[in-house]
Amino acid sequence: MTTRLIDDGLFDGADPPRLVGARCSGCGTVVFPRQDSCPKCSDGTMSAHPLPVRGRVWSWTLQAFPPKPPYRPPADGYRPYHVGYVDLGDVLVEARLEMSRPEVRIGLPVRLTTVPAYQDEDGTDVLTFAFRPDQGEQR
Amino acid sequence: MSRDDDIYVVGCGMHPFGRDESVTGMDMAVRAVREALADAGVAWEDIGYAAGGSDVSGKPDTLVGRLGLTGVPFVNVQNGCATGASTVLAVANALRAGEASLGLAVGFDKHERGAFHVSAARYGLPDWYAETGMMLTTQFFALKTQRYLHEYGIPERALAMVAARAFRNGSRHPLAWRRKELTEEEILLSAEVSPPLTQYMFCSPGQGAAALVLARGDRAFDFCERPVKLASLAFRTRRFGSFEVFSPWLPPGPHRSPSVDAAEAVFRGAGLRPADVQVAQLQDTDSGSELIHLAETGLCGHGEQEELLAAGDTDPTGRIPVNTDGGCLAGGEPVGASGLRQFHEVVRQLQGRAPGVQVPGGPQVGFTHVYGAPGISACAVLTV
Repeated sequence: MTTRLIDDGLFDGADPPRLVGARCSGCGTVVFPRQDSCPKCSDGTMSAHPLPVRGRVWSWTLQAFPPKPPYRPPADGYRPYHVGYVDLGDVLVEARLEMSRPEVRIGLPVRLTTVPAYQDEDGTDVLTFAFRPDQGEQR
Repeated sequence: MSRDDDIYVVGCGMHPFGRDESVTGMDMAVRAVREALADAGVAWEDIGYAAGGSDVSGKPDTLVGRLGLTGVPFVNVQNGCATGASTVLAVANALRAGEASLGLAVGFDKHERGAFHVSAARYGLPDWYAETGMMLTTQFFALKTQRYLHEYGIPERALAMVAARAFRNGSRHPLAWRRKELTEEEILLSAEVSPPLTQYMFCSPGQGAAALVLARGDRAFDFCERPVKLASLAFRTRRFGSFEVFSPWLPPGPHRSPSVDAAEAVFRGAGLRPADVQVAQLQDTDSGSELIHLAETGLCGHGEQEELLAAGDTDPTGRIPVNTDGGCLAGGEPVGASGLRQFHEVVRQLQGRAPGVQVPGGPQVGFTHVYGAPGISACAVLTV
C-alpha cells in the first residue's frame, strides 16, 4: 500500500516526520503552518522552525457528526473523531487526537503521530498529522 | 437634549425567524423594511441613505427594484455575524456626516439546513484544514467552551441553564423560531454534537429579516414618540493573541477576544459602564459562547456565570436580562439578519413594547453584542 503525506510543507522530511512551522526573527512568534510574514510584528523574517513532537492536550472535543464536504472521509467511512489543541510550548497546534473518550482530557501528555485522512483516487493512503497519548511520559 | 448629529432608531421591523419555504430572503427583507418604514411613519421615498447585508441570499441593493427606484445610495455589506451592526454603522456615519437625515439598515438571510458550508480558500486557509475535518464552527465553539469551563471551574450544567432560558424566552416571543420550552435535563441529554456542547446548546442556521429606520437628532422626535438613541457603536477585528474560529494554531495564552475590545470601546463611547445595562443581547450561537460573552463584555466577571444564571439574574425579571427574545438559540441564525434582530428586540424593550416578555421597570440602557468568524465583534449601547 502506498502512502503520502497530505501536504509536504507541513513536515520536515525526516522519518518519522516532524511538524514544521515558522519562527519570526523579530519577536519570536511561532506559527503553524509556516507563512512568510509575521502576524504580530512587521520587523522580522520568518524561517522554518521544527516543532516539538511532544506536548499536552490544551483543549479537546469530539466531531460527533460527519462534516459536509470539503471534508474527505477515510476509505472505510466516517467515524467520530477527537480534535483538539496541543500545547507545544511556543505554539498551540490544532490536530486530530487519536485516543479514546476515557483517555482524552486537558493536560494529557501526547506525542506526534500520523493517521490516514482519506484515500486518493489511485488508492494511495493520504496521511495527516495527529497526536496520541504519550505512553513514555506516563510510565 | 439631543444634538443634531446624534443618531436615533425611529422605526423597526422584522420578518419572523424560522423556516418558511414559501418566501425568499428578499421577500422577507421587503416585509421587514415595510414594517420599519410604517413603524417610523415614513415612506421609502423619504430614505436618503441605505445599507443592507446578506450572507447568502442575494445582493441587498437590488431590493430597490421592489421598494422603489428612488436613486437612493445603497451600500451592500457582507461582514459575517457583524453584518447587521455594520449596516447600522454605515448608515449612522452617513447621517452623522450630513449625507441624509433619514436612513435605513436591513439584513436578511435564508440558509440551507445543517451546518454552514465552509471554504478553506475563502478564509485564506490550506485545503487540508477542511479535508481533514477540522474546519467546523461547531468544533471551535466546543474547544473554546471546553477550555473556558476548565479554566474557570464552571460545570456543564451552566450551559444547559443558558439554553433553557433562551427557549423559555423564545416560547413567549411571537417572532422566535423555537417556541418550545426545554428543561435543563432535556438539553444536557440531547444528542452530543461536540462535547461539552449538545444539540440543544447550538443554534441552527435559519432564515429571517430585520430592518431599522435611523434618523439624525434634529429630526428623530418628528417621527417617533420614543426614539431610541444609538449612544455608541463599536466594531473591532481580532488582534494578535485572540482565540478564533478556523485557527490551525494559536499563540500561547492568555487570549484576548475582539469582543473585549469592542465592548470596552462601546462603553467608553457611551460614557456608561456594563453595570448600567438593563437589557442585553449577546451572541449565543451556542450556550458556551453566551457564557463566555457575558464576561468578555464586562456584564459579569469570569467564573461568575453559574451563580448569575442560577439566581435568575439573566432572566427578563433579573438584574441583567439577556436575550429576552431567546437569542440565536431560539431564533436561529440567519447571518445577515441576526445582528439587526438584536437591535429590534432591544429597541422595542426600551420603548416598553417588547413583542415577547417585557423587562419590567422601564429599562433605559440596552446593549447588543455580536461575535463572528474570523474574529470580529460589534457592540452597541442604546438608550432612552
